[in-house]
Amino acid sequence: MAQDSVGFSSDYQFWMQKLSLWDQASTLETQKDTCLHLPRFQEFLRQMYEVLKEMDSNTIIERFPTIGQLLAKTCWNPFILAFDESQKILLWCLCCLINKEPQNSEELKLNSWTRGLLSHVLSAFKFDTKEVGLFIQGLGYAPADYYPGLLKNMVLSLVSELRENHLNGFNTQRRMAPEKIRFLSRVCVPLVTLPDIQPLVEALLTYHGHEPQEVLWPEFFDAVNEAFLLKKISLPTSAVICLWLRHLPSLEKATLHLFEKLISSERNFLRRIECFLKDSLLPEAACYPAIFRIVDEMFRYALLETDGAPEVLAAIQVFTWCFVEALEKQNKQLKFTLKTYFPYASPSLVMVLLQHPKDIPQKLWHQPLKHISEMLREIVEDQTHGSYGGPFECWFLFIHFGGWADIAAEQLVMSEAEPPEALLWLLAFSHSPRDRSQQRAQTMVEVKAVLSHLKKLLRSPTLSARDLQAAAAESQDRDPRPPSCQQLIRHLLLNFLLWAPGGHAIAREVITLMAPTDELSHEIAGFLDQTLYRWDRLCLEAPRSRKLARELLAELHGHIQHRPAAHGAAVHAAGSPRSRDETMRLIRRGTSSKDEP
Amino acid sequence: MESLLQHFERFSEVLAVSRTTHVRTWDPATVRRALQWARYLRHVHRRFGRHARIRMALERRLQNQWRLEGGSGSSPVPGLTNFQALERCDLLLSLRLLENRALGDAAYHYLLQELFPGPGVPDADPETLQGSLARLARRRSAVHLLRLSGYGENSVLEEDSVLKTQAELLLARLREVPKAEAEGPSRFLSILWERLPQNNFLKVIAAALLLPPSSPRPQEEELEPRTPKTLADGDQELVRWLLTKSDAMAAFCRNLPAGLLTSVAGRHPELSRVYLGLLADWARHLHYDLQKGIWIGTESQHVPWEELYGKFQSLCQGPPPLKDDVLAALESCKAKDGDFQVRGLSIWTDLLLALGCGS
Repeated sequence: MAQDSVGFSSDYQFWMQKLSLWDQASTLETQKDTCLHLPRFQEFLRQMYEVLKEMDSNTIIERFPTIGQLLAKTCWNPFILAFDESQKILLWCLCCLINKEPQNSEELKLNSWTRGLLSHVLSAFKFDTKEVGLFIQGLGYAPADYYPGLLKNMVLSLVSELRENHLNGFNTQRRMAPEKIRFLSRVCVPLVTLPDIQPLVEALLTYHGHEPQEVLWPEFFDAVNEAFLLKKISLPTSAVICLWLRHLPSLEKATLHLFEKLISSERNFLRRIECFLKDSLLPEAACYPAIFRIVDEMFRYALLETDGAPEVLAAIQVFTWCFVEALEKQNKQLKFTLKTYFPYASPSLVMVLLQHPKDIPQKLWHQPLKHISEMLREIVEDQTHGSYGGPFECWFLFIHFGGWADIAAEQLVMSEAEPPEALLWLLAFSHSPRDRSQQRAQTMVEVKAVLSHLKKLLRSPTLSARDLQAAAAESQDRDPRPPSCQQLIRHLLLNFLLWAPGGHAIAREVITLMAPTDELSHEIAGFLDQTLYRWDRLCLEAPRSRKLARELLAELHGHIQHRPAAHGAAVHAAGSPRSRDETMRLIRRGTSSKDEP
Repeated sequence: MESLLQHFERFSEVLAVSRTTHVRTWDPATVRRALQWARYLRHVHRRFGRHARIRMALERRLQNQWRLEGGSGSSPVPGLTNFQALERCDLLLSLRLLENRALGDAAYHYLLQELFPGPGVPDADPETLQGSLARLARRRSAVHLLRLSGYGENSVLEEDSVLKTQAELLLARLREVPKAEAEGPSRFLSILWERLPQNNFLKVIAAALLLPPSSPRPQEEELEPRTPKTLADGDQELVRWLLTKSDAMAAFCRNLPAGLLTSVAGRHPELSRVYLGLLADWARHLHYDLQKGIWIGTESQHVPWEELYGKFQSLCQGPPPLKDDVLAALESCKAKDGDFQVRGLSIWTDLLLALGCGS
């Protein structure tokens, strides 16, 4: 407790100095400084209230002889009064100073003085002129009726001035001076969460003047962005997009905020990820290539820093789905070529990847798959193809449209024919992009072997879990399979369970055998969720498979909940668990380090 | 129902007293009772908002009272004018008490405790007094900050907002004035004309006459559809009043800037006719001074040539129907006066020549 009070005393001194410096915040510097400190000062006021409310008026004066000065200076700083809840907390503090039964003239004076301050805060800035005051009172109205209306009209008039400004480009008389616009943006910083001010904020964000430099104050963008992310202000999408286009740090903060939500939300719920994404307005904003590129960069860093964490992969996929949807809704109002969104990728590859499987009959899906595989292979294996980036760039582009890899796996399992080389390569590549060609060839061989076993079992009337286990077993005389290959095989088995007629009966048994650890349970749950989500998007019927997948997913979730130790663990691609906080930390580190040379 | 109405009346008294020095005698218990009443009435508002019958009965009683008081007392308007006012009666009472220096320390202390309980548990009532008062303080700072932005440099815009706000409040009040008698609004306006600073009042009326056609206020959606008469825009009442109150109309046309008058005349043809009539009367008071070569009046209250000319010039720059009417009127006056072409003989000729419209 003693430590607290020492800390509080030094805070008190600090703020006392600051307030004296700021005075009434009439200069540019004092206004800037005040705005920068508003949230912290509000915290201090809150702490002070907690301290004051335990004492009576006389004790307060003994303890804090200069408190009157502090509170008075606060009252006279309009930026502080305008911010968030500061005026409310200030009122609470002032109430603590009132003495119920003043005994002597000192106490009476204090009461009177405090009442004056309270009056000032509540009824400050009396009527503009005496005449106006008489008029309002004559009508039987009070300041409480007048000020809200006045504020509304002032905002309306400023908004129309800003808008006209835009139209009357060269009519210099009507133009609002840039300094005034900048001042307005500064003044909006404490006021940003007041609903009456929202039209002005919107008008400032969408204001396009003729000055070469940004005319609005950077802290304004910060404040609006914060308020938007915390849902304390409601702005139309166009205004938010303007904000992000004009102020890069806001866009980055918004993306990081989204990442936090995605990482910390319940895992394995792609529908929820989709909701968060749409809510964040980022997919819609990403229709502007500049914004898309920056968000994509941040996804890239997140992926690299977390070494391919499945949550990030899933987020990228869902983001791309939402982004493509938003692009289509744009109805070609924004005309940007694909190259502006994916400058480092082969345009023909992008075109094929962007195709919606829904638009192609299922029987023909192998065609685009082969095409994609061939194009990717060409880029990856051709050393001289420097212009389209190395294997990682290819892979990064490909996993945006990760649905194709999943479709390839399904196709391989379901078809009776010999597995095409191209699809095998595609699957191997998507699960392990860094393999050398020899390793990949090895993987393809293993997969082919498993697939041929599975095809035999497909026709077998009596299917048992043992059979499946045998089919997937590693051969003893080869090197053990690397983890990514194991994962691939697992996914093939799961596909088999969902599609093979006999698979439904043995599904649970197989999964129990496959998933001894929590990490694997998470992985399988993730696979099932992703599959269901993809089927929804493709409007795939398959009622039996769906039912099975849903049931299995529900059971796995129930199973995971019962194990509190595993709760909250993200899974590293290699299998070791990582906490959510650590994941976020890595992402933040990755996205901030990109500013360094 | 009867007890409810009694509560009403009692609370109106309390509200009236809360502004006076009589509160010196109030102790914390009195404050508590007053606040409880206010809270009760607010509850009534919420509870009976959709009960047309009860609401109408209450409104009728309020309007009766207003009519009876008829503008006696310090304000032409009673504290509670209609059912809607109940929604904020606690806010109204609280603010009055907070600003009343005559309230004793103990009572004031109690009031503060009630109004500002601190963070604690939020009330079930989403619109707490604490929140409303804090929001009011915040909005005031907002006005102050916006003014700092050099908003005041362009003082015309600033003044416009102030006038517009007053105009909106005036129209809001006019809507509430007892409609039982057709004369209600006019009588009210006359009372205001006598009591309030006249120059400001006239400017506000002009602003009110220029407001865009009013859309129904959101609160009105709740209430029953009213008769067409009550929905008639307040500006019609203003026009009617101006037409009947000749001294107000004369001051209106004399004191307000020419441009403003042109806008008003453009919108309200009945007023433009009277305006032209007045201008014609004023013109007839001037005679031509041969030595100085100008038109002058004989008495100090006569409108000088420059002013007259200024007003006509502004009218001629107005929108077509108005502009044509004005020119036609001038031509007709010129004709009646003898249709002179030379200066110095008829003021109408000279005006038309000066305006550049003489033929």
